Amino acid sequence: MSAVWRVARAAARRRRLQTIVIGVVVGVSTATMVLALGLLTSASAPFDRAHQQQSGAHLVAVFDGPGDGLAETAGRPAVAAAAGPFAQVTVDVAMTSRIGMPLTVAGRADPGGAVDRLTVWQGRWADAPGEIVLNEPPGERGPWSLGERVDVAGGRTFTVVGFAYSVSRSADAWVTPAQMSALNPDSAQMLYRFTAAGTAEEIAAAETAVTAGLPLLGTQSYLTLKQEVAAETAVYIPLLIVFGVLGMAVAVLIVANVISGAVVAGYRHIGVLKALGFTSNQVLAVYLLMVTVPAVVGCVLGAVLGHVTAVPLLADAFAGFGTTEIAIDAWVYALAALGMPAVVVVTALLAALRARGLSAAQAISAGSAPSVGRALAVQRVLSGARLPRSVSLGLGVPFARPARSALTLAAIVLGVMTVTLASGVTTSVTSYRAAVEPPTENRVELLAAPPRGFPGPQRLPEPTLSDAEDEALLRSLPGAAAVAAVARLPVGVVGGDPAEVYFHRGDRDLGPVVLSGHWPAAPDEVAVPSRFLNQRGLSLGDAITVEFDGDRTRLRVVGVVLTNPADEVYASWSALTALAPGTRAHSYLVELRPGSDRQAYVDAAADGDPGLTPIPPDEGGSSQAVVLIGFATLMTLVLAAVSALGVFNTVVLISRERRRDLGMLKSIGMTPRQVTVMMVTSMGVLGVVGGLIGLPLGVAAHALIAPAMMRAAQADVLDIVMDVYHAPLLALLALAGVVIAVLGAYLPARGAGRATIAEVLHTE
Amino acid sequence: MTSDDSAVVELTDVRKEYSDSVALDGLSLTIRAGEAVAVMGPSGSGKSTLLNMVAGLDRPTSGSVVVNGEDLGRLSETGLALYRRRRIGMIFQFFNLLDDLPALDNVALAAQLTGTSPAQARRRALELLDELGIAGRRNVYPARLSGGERQRVAVARALMNRPALLLADEPTGALDSRAGEQVMDLLLDLNQIGQTLLLVTHDEGLATRCASRLVEVVDGRVARESRLERTP
Ligand SMILES: Nc1ncnc2c1ncn2[C@@H]1O[C@H](COP(=O)(O)OP(=O)(O)OP(=O)(O)O)[C@@H](O)[C@H]1O
Ligand SMILES: [Mg+2]
Repeated sequence: MSAVWRVARAAARRRRLQTIVIGVVVGVSTATMVLALGLLTSASAPFDRAHQQQSGAHLVAVFDGPGDGLAETAGRPAVAAAAGPFAQVTVDVAMTSRIGMPLTVAGRADPGGAVDRLTVWQGRWADAPGEIVLNEPPGERGPWSLGERVDVAGGRTFTVVGFAYSVSRSADAWVTPAQMSALNPDSAQMLYRFTAAGTAEEIAAAETAVTAGLPLLGTQSYLTLKQEVAAETAVYIPLLIVFGVLGMAVAVLIVANVISGAVVAGYRHIGVLKALGFTSNQVLAVYLLMVTVPAVVGCVLGAVLGHVTAVPLLADAFAGFGTTEIAIDAWVYALAALGMPAVVVVTALLAALRARGLSAAQAISAGSAPSVGRALAVQRVLSGARLPRSVSLGLGVPFARPARSALTLAAIVLGVMTVTLASGVTTSVTSYRAAVEPPTENRVELLAAPPRGFPGPQRLPEPTLSDAEDEALLRSLPGAAAVAAVARLPVGVVGGDPAEVYFHRGDRDLGPVVLSGHWPAAPDEVAVPSRFLNQRGLSLGDAITVEFDGDRTRLRVVGVVLTNPADEVYASWSALTALAPGTRAHSYLVELRPGSDRQAYVDAAADGDPGLTPIPPDEGGSSQAVVLIGFATLMTLVLAAVSALGVFNTVVLISRERRRDLGMLKSIGMTPRQVTVMMVTSMGVLGVVGGLIGLPLGVAAHALIAPAMMRAAQADVLDIVMDVYHAPLLALLALAGVVIAVLGAYLPARGAGRATIAEVLHTE
Repeated sequence: MTSDDSAVVELTDVRKEYSDSVALDGLSLTIRAGEAVAVMGPSGSGKSTLLNMVAGLDRPTSGSVVVNGEDLGRLSETGLALYRRRRIGMIFQFFNLLDDLPALDNVALAAQLTGTSPAQARRRALELLDELGIAGRRNVYPARLSGGERQRVAVARALMNRPALLLADEPTGALDSRAGEQVMDLLLDLNQIGQTLLLVTHDEGLATRCASRLVEVVDGRVARESRLERTP
């Protein structure tokens, strides 16, 4: 064994570059795998994970009265754990973004407990009267910030001392139990975890068991919440699955290529070892050691690297679901840490077994002079081509070892596919967003009178001019190209979630794009986004009934508009006159002529009416879009880099195997540059072919994934989302393969060009 | 210019050190146009190193190598490559042919590097193979050629660009005596029509037969020089 160990160590040291390449490739591949698997697992279960972490309630049940006798229900057979009763009351808040929605407050002494362990992610828990903790997902900013005051109807005021998140959504806010008693609660909540809660039936059965004989007001099952959340994550899932699978495929391919390359390149060496008297098993052991040791080191470092990259990335992506800590399952690390070395050992074994079967003499010759019939024919044809000889020689190189070239090619194909898919998805997301939210640089939105419940603690100045005067003023100011007045009314929608109606007056261009039907004109006409229709099971032409100030009005959906939120309704000004006569416009949208001075316009408007306050334009895209684009970019970079690393390795192997040929070419006057060109060309061919194969695959993947994402987001599969591959982009993407190949090949090719070769020429 | 106008190669006080050994230790040697110089010496004495210096495949640690009036020490890597391409033809013990090109293309390759069109390069290669008597084997791959045939292909390749100097490192070392003699005859014929030749060999008989001068290298230095009367 010691001879084996010594030979393996010496061989690894002599092939320092190869040893490093093995370590780096396995490391990066392991990191990619951790990232890919981490994506897959967390994408599939962000809600379950968060729910699990918080020991979330399977059922939130609200009972009438002060909560007498509720504590005993914790002992009923179906219950695994319970928390409560917590007194609860619904208060009207003077200012809230939850327009038309009151705030449900529960009295709780602490955020922990057996069920619904809240994550206090900012500030602290309420422990004195007058303090309130609000329920917001970590990182989300609601209408209030820490330390601000919340005015409750009836003259009471609370100070926000903390933000906590309840995955079970047991309440909108929490106060101390003592404070709660002062609010005269009319109901109490119980939070249950059941022994069996996998299906709606199980939940229903358990619900009957725990609530029997009690004055039940209402319940909320975690399955309902899960479905809502799933609809949101579903947008990511198709993309994440494809990226995850691509990442694993590239990782495995590259590792297989590097390892089998290392063994094949060692055939000559294997022959020598055999000639020395090493047994076949000893030779096998030498090679396994030589590749496994750096592979295992790379694997461990790669797992750490994967962890360091994946955790913040996933935390970012899923912050909205309330998990403050993203934990990648241990099995992901275990699989990466065991799976990668397994791939290494299996490929090394396969390649070494071939060497085992070779006689010493065959092995010695196999290591240096690969000659395949097809390769010869190719070289034959190429040598007659009117190309610089270094180029035509390079073109023939990949044919000498078709299996290795195929593996390298496959990695490039996957790299190009990823680049294509990712740029397609990025383009889709950006063009969707651009369509939904037109560019803001020439737009000014001025607030005149905040609509009911508009968020923001500061008092805004009252407008001094009338609605009509304001509109006339804005039209008359220099730079204005189009002006629209908008009034917002929160309304109830019978049989569904409440919605916000936007009444438009003035220039039509400033409203959202109409996808089908027409823009509302009559008082009973509205246009809605398709998500509104999808979520409520409606279609164009159907009627909805809205409730405002106790009155019910039937409205006809005459158009579908392109906007992202699901609960927006657009109507004409005449509808407002019918619904709430005398209401003035809350804001004005102004489109400036290109090149106009935005600030000058805003100042002029304020001079005319100090009550016109500019609303700062939205910064950045939606977090979902940002995360999607971020993922796409990261995966593209990682996979392209790994593919390039595969090319790098291939060139290193070729340069070593063919050093005699390279030496001879130099001896007859090939310049270092020509050698470099030759080697880069050899990989460039694979890049071109890889680009041509990977491009349609990427386009096809996009054609599958983009509609799935749009449908998951309950948005329409629009042409602008599908038609993203235009000629210039396609041309660029077709080059991606060449770029990967050239980037990977350049350094080792230059090394081959510069290497001194005098000694190999005189020896066999 | 050089001290001797007819000198093709002029090595002055050339020293080549490797990390653990001294391959050339102040070697000086002049070769004139039309000469055939045979270098002999024990294994490890520095013969191949000497050839590498003249071919510009390696640079001396100190001393100068001037070929055709050109100081190789002043040339860049690319300059050296161009020098090899135009001025030097090299023949090796183990042929160093490209296994994936047939004989003709192996020969043509050398001309194609200088920018000659494939058709023209092949025409000249065929002429050379014909002169060397192996035109019939032009489409055969090196693996199917005999050792003697391979070496003749290598010679043809070396002659493609009409080099000022032909370098050969034990060109018969891997051949049996008959094939070795044929290659030697070939070199002798070339020399007789004016080709300058620098030849490393272990075979004294062959050396005396085709060289006009014998240089013995021991421990990286010229130990003895002698003019030879060729013994045909
Ligand atoms: N690349 C190298 N690195 C280190 N030492 C070298 C290298 N090339 C040659 N040497 C050393 O330089 C000395 C001369 O070597 P060279 O190959 O010139 O000898 P040689 O006369 O051609 O021998 P042979 O007749 O066996 O071919 C030897 O001691 C050799 O070990
Ligand atoms: Mg030698």
